[in-house]
Amino acid sequence: MIKLSDVDIAFHIQENGFVSLKDFALNLGKHSFLKKKYILKDIDLEIYEGECVGLLGKNGSGKSTLLRTLSGIIIPTKGKIDIRGSVAPLLGLGVGLEKELNGIENIKLLCALMGMTKKEIKDLMPGIIEFSELGDAVNWQVKRYSTGMTSRLAFSIAIMKNPDILLIDEVLSVGDIGFQRKCQRKVEEIMSNGATVIFVSHAFEEVQRMCNRAVLINEGSIQLDGTVDEVGKHYHSLFD
Amino acid sequence: MSLTSITNKGFTNAVVSLAVKTLKVRYKNSLIGIFWSMLNPLLFLVILYIVFSQFAKGSDASLNYPLYALSGLIFWNFISASILQVLTSFIDNGDILKSVNLDPIAFPFASMLAAIFNLFLSFIPFLAILYFLDYQLSWSILAVIPYVLITSVFVTGLGMLLGTLNVYFRDIQLLWTTLMPAFFYFTPIAYPPSLIPEKFQWLIKINPFYFFIDAVHQIFHDGEFPSMENSMVMIGLAVGCYLLGYIVFMRLRKGFISNI
Repeated sequence: MIKLSDVDIAFHIQENGFVSLKDFALNLGKHSFLKKKYILKDIDLEIYEGECVGLLGKNGSGKSTLLRTLSGIIIPTKGKIDIRGSVAPLLGLGVGLEKELNGIENIKLLCALMGMTKKEIKDLMPGIIEFSELGDAVNWQVKRYSTGMTSRLAFSIAIMKNPDILLIDEVLSVGDIGFQRKCQRKVEEIMSNGATVIFVSHAFEEVQRMCNRAVLINEGSIQLDGTVDEVGKHYHSLFD
Repeated sequence: MSLTSITNKGFTNAVVSLAVKTLKVRYKNSLIGIFWSMLNPLLFLVILYIVFSQFAKGSDASLNYPLYALSGLIFWNFISASILQVLTSFIDNGDILKSVNLDPIAFPFASMLAAIFNLFLSFIPFLAILYFLDYQLSWSILAVIPYVLITSVFVTGLGMLLGTLNVYFRDIQLLWTTLMPAFFYFTPIAYPPSLIPEKFQWLIKINPFYFFIDAVHQIFHDGEFPSMENSMVMIGLAVGCYLLGYIVFMRLRKGFISNI
């Protein structure tokens, strides 16, 4: 279960140059030299186990920031976030991949970055290799991979943890059609095991197919929360 | 700190994996790999020997100049390179920092760890060279382990302080790369401190790097454990720098995502 009560998320931006640094140093860090810029304000959201929620909104409305907050990367400026269960964020796909290393080394590296122990990685390794369908290519340096192969590797690493909560930021459309279908099946499998999915996508059909609830975010606050069709109508009217 | 805080075991594994990655990538397509980190000090030694050895000998007849200069150079390279690697670690790993839930303090730790690995990997060939330079193996070599530990704490603190500020003001990185060569000449690495005129001696004592290089000279050139006074200063600098770096990092980390 995920519960956000009265959450504000601000970016801390440095814009006054060295003057503010001097002020910061002279006051021994009591005056912050960072200016707050609110990205999301007064967010109240409750998502229950097993739900699949689509987040809709224009570019820059704060969808990705909300996912980053749910995954613990951004700490909210105000408010309370209550999350029960393990979270797997599928944000920037392929981030952390090291092109000079081979597939297996990259699997170990990325899993480690996600906080797994050596043993957990060893247990997941065969599954990741199998899911990626890379075969012998897992022993190649990633710089020799095609774009599609790189995405397959990255997606397989991100998805194999079987989390309670899955956060997806526009990453389902990777690889060829065969692999896309496989990814969707995997997400559906995770969902059928009772996991919660929060899904950001601009492909409305995808949201329609997968989600049973949608939330429209506009200019940093939740404008509408309801069925996919209802929220979809509003979403499309934003662009009229 | 984070909402879905990762286990300590996972954190350690992340730090080690990042450090191993750094080393693997550095030497992946290189023929002589780790020997590169020896070539630089050896090349410098030749130049410095030609320029400085007469000077140095003049001030202290018992000085074994090549041994003195090379041991200083090896550790100066370790200190200066690792400060820069820690300093840039947040920015270098910006993408990871933005999309993986990993405490950003992992990046300075990993850079430091990679630098330590690198130092110890190059240590055996270095000992062989030092042996040819009349280095007498003694128990004092054991002091290297606590020495590297204390130095690493100092470097991590200083690097974290500069690295945190560097996220907001990229000038820090440029300033530091300008200052480092100056510090190389300002610190008695390849010349004995007695070469500095009496009236400028106080300048040496306000340079924190002096104490860390002096300890190396004591261990390798004099074959002694670093003096109590020197050790105390190093520990003080390490703890002070680390605390300062950590406090500034904790205060300013909230802006990392929006400023990298």
